[in-house]
Amino acid sequence: MNTFLRSRYNRYNLIAGGLLLIIGFVWIYPFLWVLFASFKTSSEMFSAGAKLLPETWDFGNFYRAWTKANFNIYFFNTLLYAASATAIELVKSSMCGYVLGRYRFPGRTLILGLITATLFIPIAAIILPQFQLVRSLGLLNTRPGVILALSGGAGALYVLLFTGFFQPLPDELFESARLDGANFVQTFRLMLPLAKPIIATVVIFQFMRTWNEFNIPLVFTLGRPELRNMAVGMYAFRGEYSVDWTGFAAGTTMSIIPVLIVFFIFQGYFVRGLSGAVKQ
Amino acid sequence: MTAQMTTPQKRKLSRAEKRKRKKTAVPYSKRVRGKDYFWVYLFLSPFLILYLGFTVWPLIATVIYSFFEWDGIKPLEDFIGLGNFFTIAQDPLFWLAFRNTLMFAVINTMIKIPLSLLAAIFLTRKWLWGKRFFRTIFFAPLVLPVAMAGLIFSLLLHPANGAINDILVSLHIVSKPIDFLGDERLALLSLIFVSVWQIFGQYMIYWMAALQNVPEDLYEAAELDGANEWKKLIYVTLPVIKPVAVIIIFLAFVNALRVFGLVVTMTGGGPGFQTYVVPYFIYTQALVDFPFRYGYASAAAVLFGVTVLMAVMIQGYFVRRSDENPN
Repeated sequence: MNTFLRSRYNRYNLIAGGLLLIIGFVWIYPFLWVLFASFKTSSEMFSAGAKLLPETWDFGNFYRAWTKANFNIYFFNTLLYAASATAIELVKSSMCGYVLGRYRFPGRTLILGLITATLFIPIAAIILPQFQLVRSLGLLNTRPGVILALSGGAGALYVLLFTGFFQPLPDELFESARLDGANFVQTFRLMLPLAKPIIATVVIFQFMRTWNEFNIPLVFTLGRPELRNMAVGMYAFRGEYSVDWTGFAAGTTMSIIPVLIVFFIFQGYFVRGLSGAVKQ
Repeated sequence: MTAQMTTPQKRKLSRAEKRKRKKTAVPYSKRVRGKDYFWVYLFLSPFLILYLGFTVWPLIATVIYSFFEWDGIKPLEDFIGLGNFFTIAQDPLFWLAFRNTLMFAVINTMIKIPLSLLAAIFLTRKWLWGKRFFRTIFFAPLVLPVAMAGLIFSLLLHPANGAINDILVSLHIVSKPIDFLGDERLALLSLIFVSVWQIFGQYMIYWMAALQNVPEDLYEAAELDGANEWKKLIYVTLPVIKPVAVIIIFLAFVNALRVFGLVVTMTGGGPGFQTYVVPYFIYTQALVDFPFRYGYASAAAVLFGVTVLMAVMIQGYFVRRSDENPN
């Protein structure tokens, strides 16, 4: 037997790796199908069946989606919504989680209980009251309105993650900061960088969620198509352009590739952040 | 009355105190002093204001609307008390949707939880090559908006020229194409599979996080005792992650109850009413079927939400009790 196969783990890898490649291919097949469909002509897309590779590579779908179907505007909107909602989410949940984890004060148990309880309620009919709230603020059909709605509803889980992180930090840490003369805000700014894994988790989760959010942008931008994000814009592809499926595929490809890259790069932080959180 | 009110609180307090005493003595530094009170409540306020506006208020508003005959547009005037609830108790479509939703959530959870745990165990093995690559593959469907996943699968599952039927027929697994979404028995099952595919990565990540907290020396000790991989899983991994597992399973179940986007884009509740689910029922009652019945839809949401919350709390109670008195 050669040296390569003598190692138990190398043998494991050959079996597991082969198996994972097959399962992974089946798993990713719908993605590949969309990816390649975005290079096909629409007649080929419907006649090709399961075949992946296009006969002729057609880049017109991307061009059409980007310019004619306003994907350039949608892309900008999506980026703006996702970035601002993530930033707001990070600021408010880290502040709230820090205080909940660090201090004991009247109302703390109530707040924690409320946050935990709402995690387990299947919220089905919540969007109309949200809609009315944004409308009464005069922010309907505006970008700030969408951002507000996107960052308003989420966050309960993130607060719990931050609370769980700050709670078990040793008292000496805070005590030494106090002895150094750091005030409340300065102490917070000293401690926040310690929560890097949680920050990464919140950024990835919230960025992905808002990047793909469908319901909120749909309902909050009904009157102004130029405020749509890509998910809603893609859905509208069906109506306005008499079901341009290959354009739809090109749009889907454009909108998911950036998020996949973010995940591929940051997945290590992601898992570490969550595991730090579930320890509690 | 007061005695009843204070007993549960007292019990909770004493449990919290026990926990505190076990960890440290009185946490002096955790007390808020002087003008720090101002900062504490200032730090809480951004989250709390948005939370009250976008989560708590909508929940309360839904309860209020449920007592009115209301189309969502006119002023809120026709108070009818429990009228909506009486009507809904006799609405066969609601109960069909209720049954479908529960079936969807239960089967969905039963499939995705063990599978994602298995994937997480595999993809956290130290010896495995290409972990990042495979993780990204299983995670990928999650970056697809649910509505887009639904549209893509309605193409892939199409009986006339869909890719999946093309594969099944050419491999001679079936003799003629299957109408996955048009068949009364298959439609809900198809939705379940698409939903598992779509959400799988999220639970895989949760499990991977849970697995990271199993101390390495436990495995080493088990190995010294001659345990194989399977025994390590049964006797080391699963008992250690059990408390987190309970939370993950509950979250999985409750999230599955929110199924909506797939139904809208893939079946529209059909064929017949075989894939009608409660969120879809609420949506059509409130915003699609004319005349709009927003009050009625709110009553459906309240009834459904309360039922689920109670089920979760009862299960949670039993799980906790079995934790506190083993055997």
